[in-house]
Amino acid sequence: MGGRRTGQVLLMLAGFIAWAVQFTVIYAVTSTLCGREWAGATILGVGSVQAIILATTLAALAVAALGLLWSLQAHRSLGEAAAAPDRFMSQAGALIGGFSLVVILWQGIPAFILPACA
Amino acid sequence: MCALSVAGCSGVQSALDPAGGDALRIYWLTVIMTVGGTLIFLLVTGLLLYAIFAPPERRAWLGSRRTIVVGGLAFPIVVLSGLLPYGLIVMRDTDVPMPGALQVEVIGEQYWWRVKYAPEGEALEFSTANELVVPVGRPVTVTVTAADVIHSFWIPNLGGKVDMIPGRINRLSFTAERPGIYRGVCAEFCGDQHARMAFDVVALEPTAFEAWRAAQAKPAREPDHPFLARGRELFRAGGCGSCHVVRGTGADGTFGPDLTHVGSRRTIGAGQFPNNVGTLAGWIANTQHIKPGVRMPSYGSFTGEDLRALAAYLESLR
Amino acid sequence: MNVPERSEAFDPREPELPNPLPRPAGEFEALEKAWEAPRGLSFITAVNNTYVGLWYVGTAFLFFILAGILSLIMRVQLAAPESDLVGHGLYNQLFTMHGTVMMFLFAVPAVEAASVYLLPNMQAARDLPFPRLSAYAYWAYFVGGLVFFCTIFFGLAPNGGWFMYPPLTSTKYSPADNADWWLLGIGFIEISAIAGAIEIIVGVMKTRAVGMSLDKMPVYSWAMLVFAVMIVIGFPAIILGTLLLEMERAFDWPFFIAERGGDPLLWQHLFWFFGHPEVYIIFLPATGMVSMIVPAMAQTPLIGYRLIVLALVATGFLSFGLWVHHMFATGLPKMSLSFFSAASTAVAVPSGIQVFAWIATIASGRMRLTTPSLFIIGFLFIFTLGGLTGVMVAMAPFDWQAHDSYFVVAHLHYVLIGGMVFPLFAALYYWVPVASKQALSERVGRWVFGLMFVGVNVTFLPMHITGLIGMPRRVYTYPVGMGWDALNLVSTLGAFTIAAGVALFIVDFARRFRIARDENAGNVWNAGTLEWLPNANYNTRSIPIVVSREPLWDQPNLSRDVQDGRYYLPGTATGGRETLVTSPFDARPQYVLQVPGPGWQPLLAAVFTAAFFLLLTVKMVLLSATCGVLAIICVIWWLWDTDPGPVRPPVDIGGGIVVPVYATGSMNHSWWAMIVLMVVAGMVFTCLIFSYLFLWLVNPAAWPPQGVALPDGSRPFVSGALYVVSAVLIAYASRMLRGEDRRRPRAVPVLIAMALPCVAGASAAELWAQWQTGLSPSAHAYGAAVYAIVSLQIFFVLTSLIMGIYTIARWLAGRLDSVRRTTFDNTMLFWFYTIGQGLVALAVVHGFPRLTGGV
Repeated sequence: MGGRRTGQVLLMLAGFIAWAVQFTVIYAVTSTLCGREWAGATILGVGSVQAIILATTLAALAVAALGLLWSLQAHRSLGEAAAAPDRFMSQAGALIGGFSLVVILWQGIPAFILPACA
Repeated sequence: MCALSVAGCSGVQSALDPAGGDALRIYWLTVIMTVGGTLIFLLVTGLLLYAIFAPPERRAWLGSRRTIVVGGLAFPIVVLSGLLPYGLIVMRDTDVPMPGALQVEVIGEQYWWRVKYAPEGEALEFSTANELVVPVGRPVTVTVTAADVIHSFWIPNLGGKVDMIPGRINRLSFTAERPGIYRGVCAEFCGDQHARMAFDVVALEPTAFEAWRAAQAKPAREPDHPFLARGRELFRAGGCGSCHVVRGTGADGTFGPDLTHVGSRRTIGAGQFPNNVGTLAGWIANTQHIKPGVRMPSYGSFTGEDLRALAAYLESLR
Repeated sequence: MNVPERSEAFDPREPELPNPLPRPAGEFEALEKAWEAPRGLSFITAVNNTYVGLWYVGTAFLFFILAGILSLIMRVQLAAPESDLVGHGLYNQLFTMHGTVMMFLFAVPAVEAASVYLLPNMQAARDLPFPRLSAYAYWAYFVGGLVFFCTIFFGLAPNGGWFMYPPLTSTKYSPADNADWWLLGIGFIEISAIAGAIEIIVGVMKTRAVGMSLDKMPVYSWAMLVFAVMIVIGFPAIILGTLLLEMERAFDWPFFIAERGGDPLLWQHLFWFFGHPEVYIIFLPATGMVSMIVPAMAQTPLIGYRLIVLALVATGFLSFGLWVHHMFATGLPKMSLSFFSAASTAVAVPSGIQVFAWIATIASGRMRLTTPSLFIIGFLFIFTLGGLTGVMVAMAPFDWQAHDSYFVVAHLHYVLIGGMVFPLFAALYYWVPVASKQALSERVGRWVFGLMFVGVNVTFLPMHITGLIGMPRRVYTYPVGMGWDALNLVSTLGAFTIAAGVALFIVDFARRFRIARDENAGNVWNAGTLEWLPNANYNTRSIPIVVSREPLWDQPNLSRDVQDGRYYLPGTATGGRETLVTSPFDARPQYVLQVPGPGWQPLLAAVFTAAFFLLLTVKMVLLSATCGVLAIICVIWWLWDTDPGPVRPPVDIGGGIVVPVYATGSMNHSWWAMIVLMVVAGMVFTCLIFSYLFLWLVNPAAWPPQGVALPDGSRPFVSGALYVVSAVLIAYASRMLRGEDRRRPRAVPVLIAMALPCVAGASAAELWAQWQTGLSPSAHAYGAAVYAIVSLQIFFVLTSLIMGIYTIARWLAGRLDSVRRTTFDNTMLFWFYTIGQGLVALAVVHGFPRLTGGV
């Protein structure tokens, strides 16, 4: 699998990779800050746990959105004559990017509803 | 569904018969999800049957990618975007420790419950076992852990459950809103007799609760009859005090349940048998036959008369 | 040598078929002969996916029946309150075995087995890429699984629940061997599953019909690809957890013992990180099957292919973010729990996509109500209900009531029976005509379906209520007067109804199923995919070009042309078994893979592997070690015949396409397998590092604990340097082993021989450094974690040493040169992994405590 293909696969999966990183970071941070009782700190007036969740969520949304947009762009620039797998992967990338936006958003909602470490 | 079942939903151990604020919140979540889920289920089943049996011209609209996007993507996203925040809000508002709550500690053991009420104002601390008595209308916070393996503390009528994990301290908060008798169970497989590890929960009006608490803090009743005194002597001579506490006597073993007021409990054997002389006698003589695997050995060597005296003594410890 | 891409020589729209008629005399006979099954007793040495696949499915079905019988006994006990039919001791073994056998010995093996049979057929490959590996995996599973099941007849069956939570399963509370049977018995069966997963990934990506590009792959192939990747990511967690618990039991290393710095929750994290994906691992192949069956039954192409692929990939990812929903009641912070609630909610959407895709497909065609269709309808009904209760338990507060009650029992059986067993029965009725001379009976099939469908609902629907009105799980009896009596009785009656349906199926199967050598029942459903081409031991006579997802519908005369040998590789180029390797995205021919034939090596290796683990369980250490050594010897004997090199010049497979019969480097199928193996190893190691960090988190007082000193700061650099040196030596040897002239420079074995003591020394130095500080693995979980990391590294180093010596042996025997270098490449990849793991291990063990300042 060459570099071009690797790049295509990564673009296709960008949304889910962003979700996976968001998930890992927010869970690890929450567990560590709450587990070690370091969660009292605040960042810009917001509790550190919630702040980190929000920041991570925004970053992940950005990556997923890029995945969506670049996949759509790739799909548009591929003509009818383009190879089927390339068209397929750009379409799949767009679907994945779009769906990931919803999932990443849902993943960040708890920061608005729940207290940090109860 | 409940009305259709022969059992009925009310009961002393039923999540569908809420007797407290948390259980009620969860109950409404349950009802809404059940109704919503049933409707969705009927819709999906209906569409499936329509897809199979309707005449081809009538079902052509269903045979398109739009069906998938609307039914499989848009519809679930909309519904779940509403359900998730609702569920998180219920989560936020359930099991919230309140200031001024009654503090009780429960430790899970194979296969019984060690219960300690914290001192509060003039009320002294005391230990009991296999029973939780709470005042109606006042928040309670139960602090739990386990002495051996993982157990779980669950009173369905009053709220959700919390696991009792050795080396960890967990907390469960709830408020009983309705006086009554309920039943709690162990809800994490803990070994041989996991199936027989339950406890009584009694919700009393506040004055009745204070009276109960005051009585529990007192040392054991003195026997007022020679038969009972004989029982106490057998208790001492039999070595029962090496595992059991009876405050006010020499018995101070902490391995097993505190028996200072065992006669006041509704059941024995961790919620297994009604509490009377007969069952107490049977328990002492045939422990391993009734609940094999518990830590208490059978004491089958008492004579019939001695056994009755011993049981009567324990029954008198109200 | 890497083969250049040959885009100009290949055009799937070329109307001329690759190979003209008439075919040369003897070509077909040579193909038949190469693929002949062994005779007599040697039949068990067959490795052909046709046979191994059928044996595998049959064995999995056997375990389904055995575990089902266990559940019938349980239901009889629970039919009435306070029943004393079955005592607590036996009951606790029954429910543990029912769960363990169903999940580990039936569910995953059944879907893996089906793919061993189906996947090559569906992709018009002649066999899987590593047939001996699947034979090995099968025999290890067969022997190990049967021995494991028999423990129940001796009262030795595990009795701590299929999830085996410590401290209940620690030595203190489970002193007897029962728990060890689970840990050692099931542990190595998981290795079977991983072997299968490696094979499936390589098979799906590298051995497809020509022109079967990524967008034309059957949905089943997509489902199996996601399935296999999920196994690769998820199974290592339980392998590690099993290892840790066994080390705790055997050597008193207190990973899960709170009094000594351990934590029972560590097990739960490891178990459920595997355990949740496990159920989707079981479910996705079933959806793949349904996506193949529905279009055939409705006689119309599948609608929403890309959306279904989205759903499969989404499920694969999201299912790894659910595991703590099994731990909602453990007292973790609500914020943490909510992440899992959100992900558990999200995972419902992909399932919804698939359900509606099938409804849309059915609506656009004419669904015939055959037995497979009935089971599909049953699946949709039951699984949808189960999925909806799944969304319910995804809400943590509801789960706080439902967890560990019969509500969850209802939910899990609805999704597993609905989501996997019903599709499996649909698949059996659907695909039996490929394997058998006769199809199964449609008339009897309706009865089987009816009994099972009614039975499942009668058994499990009431349990939703039973659980919410208070009945907990895993109880051998329940009190009178709780209001549960009637519900339990009804459930028991339902269970026997299911049993009647299954029994009827077995009778019909025994009467009708006859293995077809070369005359199967034919394409009785008029399906469109390649497994319905005429086939025999060699699968199809020639390997076709496909231009769509339903080749049999879109390419008239395909069957006849394939059978006549008009397509690629209609005979055998090397005289032995072969299949065609194609590129992963476009499915262009790349090279001819020389496929191994029957042999005793995998069977014997499997038997000795099973014996090693099982004897260890009963603590017969010397005999166990002997079997372990014999297993390794069998594996080496097996490997010796592999890596044949280019036994002949590149061959014309038809249509002017000339491909080599051997390839090395990143195009090679075993390179891919090694990469996947490295991911597996990397996940085991990641879980171990997670365990180390988790134990740090739960030990706020001090890390390392009081009285424990870290080794001197220079030590890791000594070990690290030795690791790096050994890697450089191997890299240099790789450089030397280049050239088209098949050279065998002496430098190569010398460099490997120099690398051996370096890597061994690095690892030994680290062990020594830890030992010198007086660190004890049993005093505190810190020591246990450090020694676990060191031990894992030692295991990899020892394996690297064996591989290095083996590689030297091949050079000495003349079986290694600059062209024939796959063996060297595999060793090199594994070596680099071992070095990388060793360096990260040093960084964590020596660096992390210094980073956190001892807290």
